[in-house]
Amino acid sequence: MADYKELWTSLDIDLEKHDQLCAVLPEFYGEIYMQQENRPEAMNYYNFVVSEIHGYRVQELADMRKDGKKVVGTFCVYVPDEIIVAANAASVGLCAGSEFWHPDGEKVVPRNTCPLVKAAAGALVGNTCPYFKSCDMLVGETTCDAKKKLWETFAEYTPIHVMNLSSMKREQDYINWQGEIKLFKERMEELTGVEVTAEKLSESTKLLNDKRRALQRLYETRKVANPPISGKDALLVTQIAFYDDPARFTQMTNQLCDELEKRIENGEGVFEKKAPRILITGIPMAIPNWKLHHIIETSGGAVVAEETCTGVKYFQNLVDESASTLEDHYKILADRYLKTNCACFTPNTSRIDDIVRLYKEYAADGVVYYTLPFCTTYAAEFKAVKEALAKENIPVINIESDYGLEDAGQIKTRLEAFFEMIGNK
Amino acid sequence: MEKESKSFVLFPSHMHGLSLERKLKENGIKYAISPTPRELSSCCGISIMISSTDIEAVREILSENPGIKTDGIHTINRQAKKRFFDF
Repeated sequence: MADYKELWTSLDIDLEKHDQLCAVLPEFYGEIYMQQENRPEAMNYYNFVVSEIHGYRVQELADMRKDGKKVVGTFCVYVPDEIIVAANAASVGLCAGSEFWHPDGEKVVPRNTCPLVKAAAGALVGNTCPYFKSCDMLVGETTCDAKKKLWETFAEYTPIHVMNLSSMKREQDYINWQGEIKLFKERMEELTGVEVTAEKLSESTKLLNDKRRALQRLYETRKVANPPISGKDALLVTQIAFYDDPARFTQMTNQLCDELEKRIENGEGVFEKKAPRILITGIPMAIPNWKLHHIIETSGGAVVAEETCTGVKYFQNLVDESASTLEDHYKILADRYLKTNCACFTPNTSRIDDIVRLYKEYAADGVVYYTLPFCTTYAAEFKAVKEALAKENIPVINIESDYGLEDAGQIKTRLEAFFEMIGNK
Repeated sequence: MEKESKSFVLFPSHMHGLSLERKLKENGIKYAISPTPRELSSCCGISIMISSTDIEAVREILSENPGIKTDGIHTINRQAKKRFFDF
């Protein structure tokens, strides 16, 4: 079997502790993913990526760095990958989806920090994530208080650049974000020694829009009466989009879509015909956080879309490809990235419009509102979302849960009751 | 307790695994790329899961393609009991 110990040692990974993670993943993935029936064959690529999750891509990044390229780690869909790619660097989304990292995380962040931030903290300081260790710089943003403070801790360990995202969307906030993108571009030039020109930005915009188009195409297949792909498989594809090579990912995802579109032509779906169609809205799900999808889809539900950062927020808006000067690029990028409706904004009523629109577009039967403990912004928005959905007669259930599996049975019972209620409507 | 039996082809590196994948596709043999079960190897990486009834056909493909190296084909009988979710 492939032996990556030498690679991990070169990255200063705590091999013994890291091995505990390697020991669990095959069975965990096996139980959630490999037991599904009638999976698309093209999912084998994503099985491959997960099987080699701390090997194949990490080796690729190590080879890139040997050739003088830089690797940048990010945590948020507001960070413009266009700048990173135009500086001839690789962008990777970082580990934060397992409670495995919590004990180490609690050494440096308060215990009552959200599981996502706590996991990211533990993954870095515990030396158990080769992606963190492959990064020449991390990029943070001011999207929540827990993250803002985390960057201060991270700065003790690694170079980090923080982008200041405003909490509002007034004209001056758009101007501020343009300025932040310009500053980020300058920091990337300093890191890589590569001049980011308007031309290079046009090329990186095209490359990343192609990736977004592939994901849009994937999600389009989920709109049909019996989707040809499970929700958890679609989630996995989106999760992998954050750290795979963009051109290869686009190619493989388009291949998957070819197969899915054929399945649709043949009337072949993966769910029971009467399965209630579920739109998930809420917090992002980092690998290996597949818990909610797994519970929904083993309780008779079909997840048809995610209004999350590891869902449509990541790719639903393309970047206008018409920019020809750097100033045009800053403006166009700022406009596009600020279209995303994160709960860190006030007010954030456009997110409600998104949820209602997606509910209709995907012909959903109900909404599962998903929050993590201590995520104040998403938890607080539930009230307004619930009231707005009630006016539209859209059923919604709120599930707050961390990464642990102790409450899986209880969530299943609640969801089964919810699905029954939707079915009786 | 019901038991399930699954067979896994293991490889010295993923390159060999992907080469065999191409051959399985050409020959119309059903397979799935899978993380290598821990009881078969302690190194993180891919294996190819096949039906136990296809083992002979896979062996034949391997003998016709000596460039594809494996670490053997292993069958595990596992209690169908689930470890993480009891549903």
